[in-house]
Amino acid sequence: MIGYIGGIHVLEIFPIILFFISFFGIITSRNIVKSIVCIILMQTAVILFWLGLGARISNLPPIFEYGTYIDDPSMIADPLPQALMLTAIIIGVAVTAINITVLNALFRKYKTVEWEPMQAQAFEDEKPEM
Amino acid sequence: MMISQLLPFFVITPVLIAVFLYVFFSLKIVRIIAITVQAAFMIPAGWLLMSARETDVLVSVGDYDGLLGIILRADLLAAVFVFLTVFIFLMVGIYTYQTPYDRTKRLYLFLIFLLEGVLIGLFLTRDFFNIFVLVEVSTVVVTILLMYDRTRRNMFAGMMFLMVNIVVMQMYLFGLGYLYMLTGVMDMEGASVVIATMDSNQLALPYALIMTSIASKCSLLPMITWLPKVNSLTGSRFTIAAIMSGLHIKAGVYLFMRFQDVFGDIGMDFFLVIGVVTAVAGVILALSQTEIRLLLAYSTIAQVGLIIVGLNLDYEYSRVGSLFHIVNHSLFKVALFLCASQISYLYQTKNIQKIRGAFKQTPLIAVANIIAILGIVGAPLFNGSISKYFLVYGADGPLEWIIILINLGTILVFVKYATIFFGKPLTKVREEETLVSDTNRRGVVFALGAMCIVLGIGGVQAIYFLFDVPVTLTFGGYMEKIGIFFVSVIIAVLLYKYVLAKRTFLSKLNGLNLSFQKICVSIGIFFAILLVYIGVFYG
Repeated sequence: MIGYIGGIHVLEIFPIILFFISFFGIITSRNIVKSIVCIILMQTAVILFWLGLGARISNLPPIFEYGTYIDDPSMIADPLPQALMLTAIIIGVAVTAINITVLNALFRKYKTVEWEPMQAQAFEDEKPEM
Repeated sequence: MMISQLLPFFVITPVLIAVFLYVFFSLKIVRIIAITVQAAFMIPAGWLLMSARETDVLVSVGDYDGLLGIILRADLLAAVFVFLTVFIFLMVGIYTYQTPYDRTKRLYLFLIFLLEGVLIGLFLTRDFFNIFVLVEVSTVVVTILLMYDRTRRNMFAGMMFLMVNIVVMQMYLFGLGYLYMLTGVMDMEGASVVIATMDSNQLALPYALIMTSIASKCSLLPMITWLPKVNSLTGSRFTIAAIMSGLHIKAGVYLFMRFQDVFGDIGMDFFLVIGVVTAVAGVILALSQTEIRLLLAYSTIAQVGLIIVGLNLDYEYSRVGSLFHIVNHSLFKVALFLCASQISYLYQTKNIQKIRGAFKQTPLIAVANIIAILGIVGAPLFNGSISKYFLVYGADGPLEWIIILINLGTILVFVKYATIFFGKPLTKVREEETLVSDTNRRGVVFALGAMCIVLGIGGVQAIYFLFDVPVTLTFGGYMEKIGIFFVSVIIAVLLYKYVLAKRTFLSKLNGLNLSFQKICVSIGIFFAILLVYIGVFYG
């Protein structure tokens, strides 16, 4: 079958690989900025996966003039994943913006953007009052 | 008017209250109106509950047919959660209402009521993508609440919370995409119908992705070390901790139930084990705490573990016991946090070891606090005893004993907590009269305490009313549980007095802090184990 490698669609393989690469990046990043970039990459992987879903059988745009007769509806790309991903992109942008804003504020308080020193100082503050 | 047409307003009303409060906050009358509207909101919530007892209330937003639109559906379970949410937020609203005017409090109340709308939305919606959006909104709201005091510790905690939640929600969205690819629907009912005809093997990846994200929302193992800390270390705001522990974490449990239903109850044994381990770990970590909020937050984890055990026992009574325990736990945990707030204000410390003689200092709050404690430990005639009685119904053999031991651990935690009531104060204590809006706050904790007793005495009827499941409580069985309870109390007191009070080996656990990377690794491992488990046992 066209587009399939070992039973898996090519549109699936790339996002899955990208997803796990970004997950690996999140696990190994020592820098918070890198962690945020990896999270953005993860969002991109998920969005790509969803967009691939809508275009598996055919990628004819789902926009027609009113009253057009469609012979075979299965030839049209599924518009739902596209609509949902538009929302997901907006949410992703908003959340990333908050994330970066918070990081900016944290940088002013901790004078670092590395996870380890920041965490060490935060846990130092956390010790119960004596 | 049909109640179904009102369903979207259940989500919109709290948001409107939030905006109204934010814009006109400086006027005292506005806060009274907001509380009145919130109180009046109990009426439609009650109406929804009564209607849902007869038949599911549903509305398709935008009037689309069938599975095309976004469906809001209130079955009995959702209606109970909506009612509980409205009630708890009313209590918190009354509790916070009369504090002196403070510019920062404006945003605080706005966020609190916004969170109410989001939680109600989560309980009512049946659309997978809606759940994603609402969880993201709640994550942002909670993050801002966590950072509220702008201390650097809380801001760091808030950022950890935000980033971990973004990662797990990306896993959810990925799993959802896979599920959509397999089923072609975004609606829970539709998906469960399609999934029933499918092979479990195909579902392994979406199931593992979605359930990993939901499990981290319920702060199940391995996520337990950070969520309580993040949730409870919110500066001086006990009310946020109360909402987080009492209600927000239950939204995770609710989603867990819904998704288990959608996937046709695969992976029950896995979550049974996870529930037991979470409960045991929660008890041990709670015992190691000296900070009053952390102790309560970790005890929440233990109770959530117990609830997850009950839900996965595959026995009607246990499931219903778990559901009832969710309601009960919300009531007594909110009461406990609010009482702890009063007591720690008087003693000007949050360290349990420094608070002594609270019973003498503030007898009324102490009484309400003790009622809540009796509720959570499952004392006879209190609500916790009824829910725990049914929760263990489906457990037999070693599992029953493990649950009894977990309850013994809970009793031990609250024996430690109860030491604050006895002895003489070690530090200077503020006068009780300095408590702000004394009557309101006492009223709230007593109302919650009263609910614990009412639901304890009328527990069987309450279960029938709330979940429409007729249960019978045998006299002999209940007496046996009472016997076990009293033996547990004696063992717990002795254990505390002669072992725990003198040794500090548990306090080493206090410093257990996972870094962001390690949390992500633990989430990855959880996902991998779940995936392999489903692949091996259901493949």
